[in-house]
Amino acid sequence: MNDEAVVKVALVSCGSEYAGVHGELDSVAASVNAKLIYPEIDVNVLDTIGKDFGIEAASPDLRLMMARAMAVVAGISDVDGVFITSCFRCAEAAIVRNEVRRYINKHSDLPVISYSFTERTTAATLLTRMEALTTIARRRHLLAREKQSGLTAGIDSGSTTTKAVIMKDNKILGSGWVPTIKVIDSATEAFNQALEEAGVKQEDIQAIGTTGYGRFLVGEHFKAKLIQEEITVNSKGAVYLAGKQKGSATVIDIGGMDNKAISVEDGIPGMFTMGGICAGASGRFLDMTAKRLGVDITELGALAVKGMQEKVDMNSYCIVFGIQSLVNSLAKGSTPEDVAAAACHSVVEQIFEQQLQEVDVKEPLILVGGSSLIEGVPKALGELLKINVLVPPNSHLIGAVGSALLASGFVEE
Amino acid sequence: MAEGTEDVITKLVVTSSDSVLPIDAAMKIYESNTNIVIKETCFGTMVTGPRDAVDKVVKEVVDLDKNHIFVKERGFPPGDERRCRASRGGGARPGFYFLKEESMMLPMIGKALDKYDRKVPLKETEHKKRLEVKDLQDIIESTL
Amino acid sequence: MAKVIIYPTNSLILSDLVQRFGHTPLAMMEKIKEKISTVGVDSPPLNITAEEPKHGLKYAAVEVPAGVRGRMAIVGPMIEQADAGIIVGESPLAFGCMGCARTNELTKFLIRNRDIPLLELDFPKADDEGQEFVYRIAEFLKSLPQKSEEATE
Repeated sequence: MNDEAVVKVALVSCGSEYAGVHGELDSVAASVNAKLIYPEIDVNVLDTIGKDFGIEAASPDLRLMMARAMAVVAGISDVDGVFITSCFRCAEAAIVRNEVRRYINKHSDLPVISYSFTERTTAATLLTRMEALTTIARRRHLLAREKQSGLTAGIDSGSTTTKAVIMKDNKILGSGWVPTIKVIDSATEAFNQALEEAGVKQEDIQAIGTTGYGRFLVGEHFKAKLIQEEITVNSKGAVYLAGKQKGSATVIDIGGMDNKAISVEDGIPGMFTMGGICAGASGRFLDMTAKRLGVDITELGALAVKGMQEKVDMNSYCIVFGIQSLVNSLAKGSTPEDVAAAACHSVVEQIFEQQLQEVDVKEPLILVGGSSLIEGVPKALGELLKINVLVPPNSHLIGAVGSALLASGFVEE
Repeated sequence: MAEGTEDVITKLVVTSSDSVLPIDAAMKIYESNTNIVIKETCFGTMVTGPRDAVDKVVKEVVDLDKNHIFVKERGFPPGDERRCRASRGGGARPGFYFLKEESMMLPMIGKALDKYDRKVPLKETEHKKRLEVKDLQDIIESTL
Repeated sequence: MAKVIIYPTNSLILSDLVQRFGHTPLAMMEKIKEKISTVGVDSPPLNITAEEPKHGLKYAAVEVPAGVRGRMAIVGPMIEQADAGIIVGESPLAFGCMGCARTNELTKFLIRNRDIPLLELDFPKADDEGQEFVYRIAEFLKSLPQKSEEATE
């Protein structure tokens, strides 16, 4: 991967040099062959930046952030992407960070990530995000692909489940879906399921693409042509399956352990965020709810649709305390339907409060990932955002489909 | 550069003098036979070396026009690749902007130091006070 | 010779004046130098590792952002060492170590909270003010003991 050109990423930040994370930022950039640069600015703009950008922030470094953002948009600083970051829990910085992100997104087509760090933020946490940023910068032509061609496979090695698909001439021929136990074994099993259903042999596959947590291991094992993080792959897969490749879209992907919110323009991610510190807004929460209710996870959705979340008191998003609230409600006489609805509501509300503050929601809103199959989840999301939520067919296979689609870019080469 | 246990320091010498130009200051340092490295920048000269040697040569430079040559110690040696824009790319390091602001104040500070040395008595300067509500009211009434 | 904590902690003018009148400025630059010269630690561009924000917990609670606590880990001990302080308000734009308004508020508070001789004034905007600025700082510094009588606590 590192033989590709260096990607110049503008670091528009406040506090990172004093929080013990700068080394991590440099290290993650180096691992994806990117270079973080402080955008060049015209010093004189600093005198009036508060009024020119519009936020008269008390902290000089935040004013510097605004000046750097304006310099990036004006092209004074020549960069391929922007990484906006500031201290977690700083209110002033959160306001500036959000507005700077919106500003860059509105006035340029540079990919942007925004992140608030603590001293515990490590390169590993940032890897997927930075990889996505550099991919968007360097593989725009690949991401522009709208049709699958040839005979390709995609494997999505997720934290909870492993998915595989075989595609030919823009159609899904077969798919496999297994729980992730051992990364390679589970990938092999899912792949074999998909091959069998498609009725093709592994050696006939022209290109394989892998994504998900296990993408590197699985990609190496199957000699994949494309090994790609799940942000670009899943957003591509989502707009492809939903038939919304042109124009704006928002993709929400609720996976087994984390979730992502991605703002997409013509199939290419512009802004995105990833949850990952708490699993309360993931499929895992729903899985545990189903177990507590004594139903199969596949039945939880139908149950939730019949219930009313308002009837259940939930005072925590935490996977432990939240589940405890649900159990207490059952003991107080709540129906399983209401409890299931409350669990779905809890997951989407947490995504709304945490992720959707970092991404501007533009319709259509496409919900993907395994949790999208639990009918209560899209319903709760639609109610919360007051917009129509689109769940495309095969929404749980999103990563595998995205990989197979993008891998076909290597067939013709 | 800053290896070993020896106390190696960097001082930034900023000249704001009519009689001593930055180049004169630099020449003075070049002339000195001590074990130091210097680097000229837009706002001054950075002098790096063992503490004693740096202190000595910096004093010689300051003595050329003591009220108009200013000194501060600097954390990073010149060209440190953790800091230097040549290796990090992009814009200036953060301290640069404040240094620029302060440099613009130096002529004023220098003049004041001259006066202080000459024991020129301090003029009472008038500090503007916030307008009292009563006064504001008077102004409004007189304007209407 | 007194150790004088200056604010802004990276000021050329204050650092110079303190030294000029025979005292030792406690300034950010020297702390940074100590940090960056420590062999084996290399967290560019400043040697603030994830440990510093934890040390900063001495000055600010965990709900305070890491960038504030990281800076306080450097500034805090300087304040503790100081025999006297000079705080200059209305500073022009100061970035980096002085770039965070919350840190600056806390720094000034902690300096004021020490029972040490303290001079507070504003950056001058005109020659008249410049004269008063220099005179007041000079007189203040002259009033401080020239020899350190005892080690600070």
